[in-house]
Amino acid sequence: MAAYQKVTHMLYPDTSVTLALFANVESCKNLRKCVMEGTVEAALLKTAMIVDSFQVLVAANKAIHLYHTKSMMTKNVHSEILYCLSPSKNISESFRSFGAADGETSVFVAIVNDAEDRTLKKVTNILGREPDSLDLTSTLSDKKLIAKTYRLTDDELSTFSLLDTLVSRVAAKEIITAGKGQS
Amino acid sequence: MESRKLLKQGAEAKLYLHDFYGRPCIIKERFQKQYRHHTLDSMLTNQRIKSEVRANLRCRMAGILTPTIFMVNFQDNSIYMEEIQDPITAKQYITDMSAQGDSSSLLMLAEVIGQTLSKMHAGNIIHGDLTTSNMLLQGNPSNLRLFLIDFGLSSFEASAEDKGVDLYVLERAFLSSHPNSQELFNTILNSYQAATKNIKSCKEIIAKLEEVRMRGRKRTMIG
Repeated sequence: MAAYQKVTHMLYPDTSVTLALFANVESCKNLRKCVMEGTVEAALLKTAMIVDSFQVLVAANKAIHLYHTKSMMTKNVHSEILYCLSPSKNISESFRSFGAADGETSVFVAIVNDAEDRTLKKVTNILGREPDSLDLTSTLSDKKLIAKTYRLTDDELSTFSLLDTLVSRVAAKEIITAGKGQS
Repeated sequence: MESRKLLKQGAEAKLYLHDFYGRPCIIKERFQKQYRHHTLDSMLTNQRIKSEVRANLRCRMAGILTPTIFMVNFQDNSIYMEEIQDPITAKQYITDMSAQGDSSSLLMLAEVIGQTLSKMHAGNIIHGDLTTSNMLLQGNPSNLRLFLIDFGLSSFEASAEDKGVDLYVLERAFLSSHPNSQELFNTILNSYQAATKNIKSCKEIIAKLEEVRMRGRKRTMIG
C-alpha cells in the first residue's frame, strides 16, 4: 500500500488522519455494512463531491479539533468529518449527499487514528483492492453537483479555484449558516 | 506550536506565519485585552472573528479576492488563512509609485480599488475599516490583483449612509497616509461610480459621502 496519505493533526500531534481513495470497486455495500455495524471505524465519502484530498483534510482537521474541544455536532469523529464537509446543517441530509452509497463504484475513505493501519487493512480486505493514487480524486468529482450543493456563485467560480472556494466554505460553515444580520 | 513565527503585532491581534498541511498560512490570533472586562472582551472578540469570516466569504461570493480561510479556532480566538504570496500593501505601492512619479500605475490602481469597492457595496458588505493598508496587491501594474483583508469591523448594510461612511473612512485614511492625494481619491470615486450599476443608489451614496464630509463620521442626534 503506497498511495494513501497519513497526516498528523497540526494542533494535536497524537492524532492523525489517514486518507485513501479507492477509484474502482465493485460496490461499497459490504464496506458500508461494516461501518454501520461498527466493525470498521471510518468515514466513507462520496467521490463525486470531492475535488482534492486537501478538501477532506480541511474537514478532518476541523472534525478532530471539534472532537478535542468537545463541540461536535454528531456522535463520533468520523461522522463529524462528513458533517463538516457538508454545507448543510441537517445531519441526515449531509450524510445523504456526502456519504458513499451502496451502489457506488468508488469511495474516498478517511480514518482518524488508524494505529498500524489496521482499519485501512480491513477496508482493503473488504473491498478486495489496494488504494489508488489520491491524484485521481479530481477525475471522479462531479463539479456541477458540487457547485449546486454548495450553492457556489458564478463570480466566485470565475475568481477562485474550485478547491479554494470549498475549503473556505468548509472552514467557515457554522459562521455562514448562522443566519444573516448579526455581525 | 513551536514552528510558528511572529510576523506582525497589531492592536487587536498577532499574526503568525505557519504551514497548514503544506500550504503557507497566516494565523491571526486575537489576544485578550487586559483593560476590558473579560466577559465583554470575549464577546467582542467572538463577534469580530465571526464578522471577519462572514464578510470574507461574502466578498468571495461577490468575486472579490480575499485570503482563503483554512480553519477557525474559537478555543484560542484565531483564524487560519492563506498567506498571500509576495504581497505589497496598497499603501506601500502608492508611496513607491508616487516617489517614482509613476502616475499611470497610480491611476490603474485607483481604477481597481474603485471597481472592487463598488462590487463590495453592491453586495451590501460594509468593510468598516477601509485603509490602503488593508488592501494587498499582487501582480504587475497593468494587471493588479487586489485582495481585501481585515474584515473585523465589517457589517452587512444596504443603506447609503453606511456605504457613504465606508468611503469617508477610506478618504480620511487615504489623505492622511498619502500627501496630495485628493486627486487620486477622486479617481477612485469616479471608478466606483462608473462600476456601480444601480445609478440611483450610487448617487445617494455619493450624496451621503458629501454629507458625512460636512459633519464627520458620527451622525448628529439632535432634534
